[in-house]
Amino acid sequence: MMQDYLTIALSKGTLLKPTLKLLEEAGMPVEGVTEDSRAMVFNFEEEKIRYIMCRPTDVPTYVEQGAADLGIVGKDVIVEQGKDVYELLDLGYGYCRFVVAVPREKDKVNLRELNYKRAATKFPVVAENFFRSQGLQVEIIKLHGNVELAPIMGIADMIVDIVSTGRTLRENNLVELVKIMDSTTRLICNRVSYRTKYDQIRPLLESFAKIIEKGGNK
Amino acid sequence: MKNKKIPKGLRDLLPEEVRKKRIIEARLISLFASYGYKEVITPTFEYLEVIEAGTGNIREELFLFLDREGGILSLRPEMTVSIARLASIHLAEEKFPQRLCYIANVFRHVQPQLARYREFWQAGIELLGASGVWADVEVISLAVKALKAIGVKDFKVSINQIGIFNSLLEDGSLDYEDRVRIRELIEKKDLVELTRLLESMDIDEGLKETLVKMPVLHGGLEILDQLPYIERNARASAAALDLIEIYEALKLCGVIENIVVDTGVLRGLDYYTGIVFEGYSPDLGYGLLGGGRYDNLLGKFGLDRPATGFAIGIDRLALIVDEPCPTSPVYLVGGRDIGQVMKKCEELRLMGYVVEMDVERRSRNELEEKAGTVPGCQVVYID
Repeated sequence: MMQDYLTIALSKGTLLKPTLKLLEEAGMPVEGVTEDSRAMVFNFEEEKIRYIMCRPTDVPTYVEQGAADLGIVGKDVIVEQGKDVYELLDLGYGYCRFVVAVPREKDKVNLRELNYKRAATKFPVVAENFFRSQGLQVEIIKLHGNVELAPIMGIADMIVDIVSTGRTLRENNLVELVKIMDSTTRLICNRVSYRTKYDQIRPLLESFAKIIEKGGNK
Repeated sequence: MKNKKIPKGLRDLLPEEVRKKRIIEARLISLFASYGYKEVITPTFEYLEVIEAGTGNIREELFLFLDREGGILSLRPEMTVSIARLASIHLAEEKFPQRLCYIANVFRHVQPQLARYREFWQAGIELLGASGVWADVEVISLAVKALKAIGVKDFKVSINQIGIFNSLLEDGSLDYEDRVRIRELIEKKDLVELTRLLESMDIDEGLKETLVKMPVLHGGLEILDQLPYIERNARASAAALDLIEIYEALKLCGVIENIVVDTGVLRGLDYYTGIVFEGYSPDLGYGLLGGGRYDNLLGKFGLDRPATGFAIGIDRLALIVDEPCPTSPVYLVGGRDIGQVMKKCEELRLMGYVVEMDVERRSRNELEEKAGTVPGCQVVYID
């Protein structure tokens, strides 16, 4: 029976390393947990902990449906998907920000002048909500990657994307026009698990909070 | 006609699923009946004004269409509003309290996934015209008994009093925009942003601490000690006192093992005014039942009476309970003369057996062969 296990969905990719470091610091078992292995599920019988290795965009789904009790994933993914989960803690690492970026030659443009223009993005919900909140009508073009290509190829006038250092923007001759919001890694929780497995979740929450307060794990 | 599409989020129920659903429904209705709740049926759709009078603005979740006179209609998204409307028309002259129950399909335009469909089934009760702790205790006990009757294991019913949160939010030190923002963040369960917002506000530290903790506290009555600001707000204290009284009464009613006090339970719909509760099982990541007190809803339809009730999600129960299929013997009756075959069938049916007549007019050997493939199937052949 898996019911007595606490299942945590981990994001593959850049968040994994700092996530494993945080888990280890909090006294959780992490030996052999890696995205390079073929295993996608890691059970620690003694501690009754199970990790599942997911694409970041799938983490909220596993948590909302209760397949995982907890998940560790970026705010960018959470805000785009709007799933019904508890967002419990800001883990601090994995900083990035949502921005509207335009080709360099248009860096003097005013946001208002982008009304009725086209924006390419992997985050159509965030983009739509932002432009609407500004009273603007912008056509959203949903792409799955390499969004920077869209203005170069002329299918969009601007992009909405997440950036951390801004290097990719510079390399593609784009400049940040407006920041929409900041994003860091969050701990999310299924709404039923939060109630039925609270005794297992609470100690974890407390040790995470302590580590973050100490300013560790940046 | 080769088009096999069905609208998104809807399902066919096959015999085995229907069998389970009917067992669950029968148990619930007979339990409700034993408490004096009488079953009613209301129309599948209502005027939008009626739905919105109760639920507030949930238009994004409604299936809307027009009638030929230009009225806007909505498939019912839940049953409580319809029952309130029914009561205001048909029960105004009756003696209260009135106890009503229902089994109904309801419709919401949600993103479909496991345990969340656009048409789903609810069973529920409404106790109309009764205020006070005893009425709430009856309804909450009945919710516990219902989950027990279905065989749900290790479930909890979390209770809260919505008046605590609402009164604190209306506390003089918060302006309108802050209230809207706090409510929004709590409904989105974004505790990170909530903490930040409260930290940035220039309000009483005790109120901040109380609002931050409320969404996540659960346990026994002792959790109220961690919400110090409640005592400083008269209406919040009164609501907390109501919660305490109900909890103490539930102790005396033998259902307390399944009860948790949970100040995070707020319920989405606008009409709740007092105690609210939700049922959970560790086997499913979604709630099983929800309900509470709604003292102003009947008044919206001109019948000023308090009320309390709950609804259970039948589809969700079906996902987590087993109802093993009974293997009572089935008879397969065949032969040459339809009159005699039919007579034999009737005899066996009167004895309580399930009997299939061989409509394909097989021989005895063919019939034996067919019966061999069905467990517990016996053949009667009439020459």
